Amino acid sequence: MVRLAALAAVALTAAVHAFEPASRPAGDLPTILISRQLATARGLRAGDDVRLARDRNGRGARTFRIAGIYEPTPDPVRIGAARHEARLHLPDLLALTGEPDDPLADENVDAINIALRPGADAGAYSRTLGARAPGITVHPVADAAGGAGVFVVLERFHLAIAIVTIVASTVFLLALTVMLVDERRETVGVLRLIGLTSRRILLQVFAEGIALAGTGALFGILLALASEGLINRYFQWRYDTALVFVRIAPEVIWRTLLIAVPLGVAGSVLASWTLLRRGPLALVRR
Amino acid sequence: MRALRFAARTLRRQPARALLGILGIAAVGALLFDMLLLSRGLVLSMEDALNRAGFDVRVTATASLPGTGPRIGRAPAVLATLTALPEVDDAVALRFGSGRVLMTAPSPPVGFTLFGAEPSRRRFWTVIRGRDLAARGDAPTGEVLINEALAAALGVDAGASIAIRASCVRANEALPPVHVRVAGVARFPFDTVEQRTAALSRRDFAVACGEPDDEGADLILVATAPAYGPDQARDAIARVHPDLHAVSNAQLVRQLAATRFSYFRQISAVLATVTLAFGLLLITVLLTVSVNQRLGTIAALRAIGFSSRRMVADVLAESALMVGVGGALALPVGLLLAAWLDRILKRMPGLPAELHFFVYEPRALWLHAGLMGATALLAALYPVRLVSRLPIAATLRSEITS
Repeated sequence: MVRLAALAAVALTAAVHAFEPASRPAGDLPTILISRQLATARGLRAGDDVRLARDRNGRGARTFRIAGIYEPTPDPVRIGAARHEARLHLPDLLALTGEPDDPLADENVDAINIALRPGADAGAYSRTLGARAPGITVHPVADAAGGAGVFVVLERFHLAIAIVTIVASTVFLLALTVMLVDERRETVGVLRLIGLTSRRILLQVFAEGIALAGTGALFGILLALASEGLINRYFQWRYDTALVFVRIAPEVIWRTLLIAVPLGVAGSVLASWTLLRRGPLALVRR
Repeated sequence: MRALRFAARTLRRQPARALLGILGIAAVGALLFDMLLLSRGLVLSMEDALNRAGFDVRVTATASLPGTGPRIGRAPAVLATLTALPEVDDAVALRFGSGRVLMTAPSPPVGFTLFGAEPSRRRFWTVIRGRDLAARGDAPTGEVLINEALAAALGVDAGASIAIRASCVRANEALPPVHVRVAGVARFPFDTVEQRTAALSRRDFAVACGEPDDEGADLILVATAPAYGPDQARDAIARVHPDLHAVSNAQLVRQLAATRFSYFRQISAVLATVTLAFGLLLITVLLTVSVNQRLGTIAALRAIGFSSRRMVADVLAESALMVGVGGALALPVGLLLAAWLDRILKRMPGLPAELHFFVYEPRALWLHAGLMGATALLAALYPVRLVSRLPIAATLRSEITS
């Protein structure tokens, strides 16, 4: 797909500034599609007739018949914006919005979307077309998606928040393991006195750490999976959009396990290590 | 006071545990503080930027963003009507477009945002070097103001002459170049960090666009007269020009807060809730484990005459001390963290340089203190219950026989 700015267009979204139900139906009317949000806001249905004009005075208004209602493609950049949109046939839109004194009004469009044949190189095609038609700008859609700087920045922001959360969790985890290990001081002392080596006890602590951290991480993942739908439903309701806000992808699960389990185990072992360096008699001392 | 001193001694007995607990609370508190700063940061920042521009009502042809919808026709006549209103102190009409300066090969042309402004008493830009655009009524002046980024890209300063090619419609144009003299270098509100901007008088803009008789405007900025409020000015404009869309700064900020900025408010609410829940859970666990380890001591203290209320006060004081010290540490940590997160978010393309995501306001501080206090209280509930219902004799017996 190649986006070609400036000369022509295939499908356009009309920015209509007046949108009123027509007072009387006409015979063979041009048809339009309207967004679900607009239909809900104005109580419109397929088959209704509406009058569209380019300004709020309603000058040059024309009557159209609603052929259908569509769900706009979710667009994160337009989150929060009311998607009150209508799609017109290109000649109808040009006739409605063109300046009357502009002889080229029905020849100008904002963009052309081009679908290439499977296997075609969009980059090469863009360069060739750009060289052959000076005055226009040609972008492969993949480049446009890759340059979505807003989302790259948001991803970095969420990563930064995640790092802070991990730091806070690690500090708390250390505090907890220090307390728990301290609680087991006497038990460890008795184990040492009956012959278990420090290495053997450390191995046990390591195994316990894996079990605890694994269970905790698993619980966290299950909690995230359970809340995924709730969060999505809340934000989809809040912003009236079909966008997916949270997706627990397999790589997210693996990344979580890779961070949480080693951290949990390291916390347990680190806290236990300080205890195991003491002599058995010092440990059982009351 | 006694309870507080006793709690401080209890914490000092286990320094590693106390330090880790306080550090953890500081980290959670810092994140909470940042989320409070984020919740209204953009709104406060935008409000401040709009008010600093010196105009408090914006008039466009429709509710579309300036430059994306239809233009206001016969702008000079509209301006005359608006400035005649007692509620209006001054008004300036703006046209938006873009421009290029062709450089010597092989350097590519330098593109920039171009706007034309009807001369007025108030200017929303600040001249840094050189002088302001001359006001010569309805005649072109042949002068341009440029910002620092454009001056650097062109390698010119006040007094230099440049040839600009303007583009004034939403399509590529090939207009002939117009020669103008750089009157000065100015700072324009809402410029992004790397944005290059130039300003012409409305007449010069029309000449550069090849439409000397064009009287359209994309936006009219209105400054309210001192005796009136922005809402009164907006209502007066709506009365004389019901065909136009007038909005005050406060309205605009409210609209942005409800739409474009709401994502960050929502995300801050979610993260603040999660952070608080996380903090509550962990402080509860820390206190509970700490109390469990001291059950024998507590029972002994009760046995020698300490009241149940006194022991409850000790636990509450321990919670308050940990959360108080952690919460106080959270403020400087939170401010440093906010500066780091703000730098990350400010790399968002198209964001005006003067907008910030994390903005301090006293309300955030009070809210932070209130939430941390409530967390300390809630976190102490379960350990307090343990202490208040502790069977003294059974606990002491169990302590001796275990």
